[in-house]
Amino acid sequence: MTLLTLPYRELPATDIGTPNLSSPLRYLVWLGRKQILILSGAVVFGMGWMLSQALLWAAVGGAIDHGITPRNPTALWHWVEIVLILGIVQGLCGAMRHQLAVANWMTATYRSIQLIGRHITASGTAVIDEIPAGDVVNTVGADVMRIGGAFDVVGRLVGALVSWIVVSIILLSTSLSLGLVVLLGVPLLASLTTPLMKPLHSTQATQREAAGRLAALGADTVAGLRILRGVGGEEVFLANYKEQSNLVRVAGNRIAGPQAALESGQLLLPALLVAVVTFLGARDIVAGRLQPGQLVAFFGYATFLTTPLRTVIEYIISSTRALVGAKKVLRILNATSAVEEPSEALAWPEHITSLHDGLTGVTLHRGQLTALVTETPAEAAEIANRLGRFVGGKNDVRLNDIPLAHFSLADTRRHIVVSEVEPRLFTGDLRSELAPRGAGDDERLITAMAAASALDILDALDQGFDSTVEERGRSFSGGQRQRIALARAYLTEADILILVEPTSAVDSHTESRIASRMLSIRDQRSTLIATTSPLILEKVDVVLVVRDGRVSDQGAHRDLARTNAWYRSVVLREEDE
Amino acid sequence: MSSLPIASRKDVVLHARVLVRRHRHSLVTMLLLYALAAVAALFGPWILGNLINRATAGHLSNHEVTVTVLELLSASLLYTLLTFFARRKSYILGETVFAELREGFLASILTLPLVAVERAGTGDLLSRTTNDVEAISRTVRFAVPEWLVALVQAGLTLGAMILVSPLVAIAGLVSVPFLYFSTRWYLRYATPGYMRERISYATLSGTVAETVEGSRTIDALQLASRQNDRLDGNIRESFYAEMYTLLMRMNWFPIVETAFSLAVATTLGWGGWLALHHHVSIGAATAVTLYVVQLNDPLDRIIAWLDELQMGAASFARLIGVSVVRDNRPTESAEPLSETITVQDVRYAYREGHDVLHGVTLTIRPGERLAMVGPSGAGKSTLGRLIAGIDAPRSGSVEVGGVPLSSMPLHTLRQHVALVTQEHHIFIGSVSDNLALAKPSASEADIRDALAAVDALEWAEALPEGLATELGSTGYALSPAQAQQLALARLVLTNPHTLVLDEATALLDPRAARHLERSLSAVLTGRTVIAIAHRLHTAHDADRVAVVNEGVVSELGTHDELIALNGEYAALWRSWRNEHTDRS
Repeated sequence: MTLLTLPYRELPATDIGTPNLSSPLRYLVWLGRKQILILSGAVVFGMGWMLSQALLWAAVGGAIDHGITPRNPTALWHWVEIVLILGIVQGLCGAMRHQLAVANWMTATYRSIQLIGRHITASGTAVIDEIPAGDVVNTVGADVMRIGGAFDVVGRLVGALVSWIVVSIILLSTSLSLGLVVLLGVPLLASLTTPLMKPLHSTQATQREAAGRLAALGADTVAGLRILRGVGGEEVFLANYKEQSNLVRVAGNRIAGPQAALESGQLLLPALLVAVVTFLGARDIVAGRLQPGQLVAFFGYATFLTTPLRTVIEYIISSTRALVGAKKVLRILNATSAVEEPSEALAWPEHITSLHDGLTGVTLHRGQLTALVTETPAEAAEIANRLGRFVGGKNDVRLNDIPLAHFSLADTRRHIVVSEVEPRLFTGDLRSELAPRGAGDDERLITAMAAASALDILDALDQGFDSTVEERGRSFSGGQRQRIALARAYLTEADILILVEPTSAVDSHTESRIASRMLSIRDQRSTLIATTSPLILEKVDVVLVVRDGRVSDQGAHRDLARTNAWYRSVVLREEDE
Repeated sequence: MSSLPIASRKDVVLHARVLVRRHRHSLVTMLLLYALAAVAALFGPWILGNLINRATAGHLSNHEVTVTVLELLSASLLYTLLTFFARRKSYILGETVFAELREGFLASILTLPLVAVERAGTGDLLSRTTNDVEAISRTVRFAVPEWLVALVQAGLTLGAMILVSPLVAIAGLVSVPFLYFSTRWYLRYATPGYMRERISYATLSGTVAETVEGSRTIDALQLASRQNDRLDGNIRESFYAEMYTLLMRMNWFPIVETAFSLAVATTLGWGGWLALHHHVSIGAATAVTLYVVQLNDPLDRIIAWLDELQMGAASFARLIGVSVVRDNRPTESAEPLSETITVQDVRYAYREGHDVLHGVTLTIRPGERLAMVGPSGAGKSTLGRLIAGIDAPRSGSVEVGGVPLSSMPLHTLRQHVALVTQEHHIFIGSVSDNLALAKPSASEADIRDALAAVDALEWAEALPEGLATELGSTGYALSPAQAQQLALARLVLTNPHTLVLDEATALLDPRAARHLERSLSAVLTGRTVIAIAHRLHTAHDADRVAVVNEGVVSELGTHDELIALNGEYAALWRSWRNEHTDRS
């Protein structure tokens, strides 16, 4: 079925390289250097493609002047052959040019996506802290493609420039005035088109914005559809949607004028060139300086020049877009994490004796199951972030009495695992979700799932651990996601595990099972659980009570419940009377 | 999960026909303008042909040159002007049709039956709302008009060729069989490839979204390399999808382009030979050759837009597929005799042969507060959905005052019973908009009262712009507890006599839940409440507690009765209250 195979190196590239992030232009130049070989190839075939189209007209003119007019059949066949050969050359060069354009587009696009992906995963939460997730997705979906788009045009652009010069030289060799008209006319016409693009840009931006809002409204309705169908209000929603849809339509209609003007302008300007060339050429015939066939060729050249002219305009548009796109890419790539690596990392200690937060006085001792009770969940999350070194700047957090900031981040993350309030699940099979670093033999996985009281989830799945976790784990309920995330946290077997509200979305029966199995799965290792559930609190070794930013009391749940009224009010929900 | 249907070919054609009929006036005007423009464009080669004839005959004067070129210029000017109006018309028509399609689609989404929505999940609908609507936008706004225009141009150019010299024109048709067969082959193999490309980009963008939103988890669990591998895998899939379609084009393009130049060469050779033997004039041979060159452009566009049209048709089928699902609830039902809900020997299965409820019988008295407790997966939520009338039981009955709930029209059902789940959603719009959807006729005072009832008035008024503050994914972000409060305030407005709360307070901060429940219970006095409970204090506050275990009600009674029974509920309660238990 396939006649040709394409000799391209598989993408994505393995050598991504370090980009120049100092300006959008420098970034684009850096990308260009990385793919200079295929870029040069595109230029060569782009020239061949454009030149063969231009020279076709010389052959048509030759057929008229040397074959038809002097009534010479041999010469006619000869020129027809040349037309055919040029056509075939054009076809082959066109095919090569096209595939190299696609290769250039893909290489620039994919490399940028890889850079963005790598940067997001390597810089903690720096990107999401600075840029809304929707913007990042948009940059990858649209802006990066626009960067690729500029590289797509390069081969054709060079071909356009070269063919313009060649046509000018051919014309100059027969007529100075004709040559000059083409040599100067094309850039003049290209610059005349630019003003036509300006009004279009601003109206397009307005329309895109309105369309974006409409898309958000549509997605929002679908996301809340169950609720909408449950409590009603469909008419209101449809009316809102129609209103916004109408705004988009009106904005779209406003584009219609400028867009039509640009397109018809792109027809008129080359037509002027054709008229001037025909006029001058025909007068030369009257004066006896030119053959009729040559006039046909000149007419053809002028018609052909529409293509280079359009290509130049396309390049202006696409390179402007690429620069805007590069600016957005750089915004992502320049977002840096506040958590810094130490200049010289200390070796991770063989045994951990304690992890201590100087600010609040929270201390975790080796092998202990510790609970943390705070006034608000946000306070607990903040303490967890400090202990796990998710915040930058100077923090008085010490591991074995050494500042935690003196250890490398990789070591810290490996040994201290913090599971935040709403941990995320990712697309993939359940096995790799639970044990992302491999080594997930079923026995270990089942033990962890049992400890998280999550075996019922597994039972309900047709393919067990090989079942697919959908995007963000959305096929599971909130409670199921939480239990899977808990099992995943257990499976890290971290020396220190910090769990923030790990059972907030599960029912009491399940919570009580999780609590009773916690001790054995975290055997000999240190665990800190921020929770207010008595079912868990009664199972831990020690409860730390943080009030007004400091540890104010600690002890066993039962004792605290008896002696500390504030604790009782938070945990047992009794009124302070 | 069962997915939503895709419209049949017949339905697609039917809908397309309706669209065309509705817009036939604009469509005809647009095509007429394009036809006139195309005719104007055909003057150029004809004028040049005449010029050449006069030049070879040797009687061409400067005056004639000037007149001819002025004719050429006027033709170009006319062409430009007509194209401008035609384009503008076609863009406006495209926008109008696209707006109609997306509005019609949303309207059909909003009338989907509850069961279909619950079963299909939001993923499929969301992809239709975003990807397919986007695809249709390209098809309707660009592909269809461009294609029709190219068709008109090609037809007229062909007509002009025949008009100038039918004898020469025959040669131009030499390319047709090449174009026809290669394009048929290309479309058959390439279109699925373009579909694959689109899916691969959707997956890629999904991975990026997941990565950026989950960057904290990725950092905490050192998932960077796995996530990078996944992204690389997505890129590789996109690359192969691109490579496949490229390969298809690499086979097709050379054939098309060669066919084009074969047509030009053949016309030139044949026309030249005819001119040599005085069958036609040199001018006619020249003009037809120029027309053949000109014909390449519309022909090229006709075949280039075909795959886009095919994909557009596929998206169109997915959009109108939603309207095929009809709500089969009756529009009328008998008036219930009382507010008593009776559940009689109910069985229910999601998959055939796998009952999740095994004969549940339960009578809920009006005004009663019933708590349902039990382990996850025991069937509490399923029972709740049946009591809320969302679905019908496989056997047995769920009735209110003798009328089966699942047979009630939706607007009647909502006045009797409402289901509140832990899923809450804040819509794009103001605080008031978010509440008013439950009762469009609600006054400002009604809305304030409802907010006050759930203890939300204070914080709502403290928002940057009070009740007019824009909320939702593009506006001010509420905490989950606040979002839940708004959901409850909606219910206050709907005012059903029975509420099914399915773990509605589960995601709340435990420190806030009790507070909210108290304020809610003050409002709901006199209403029947079935609370699928999560936290045991809910059960304590209830009139009766039902323990649901393995698809049956295993214990039923007041809190005190169940404590006295000393069964499963009692054990759990003791553990919750931190009393000594004999349970390990």
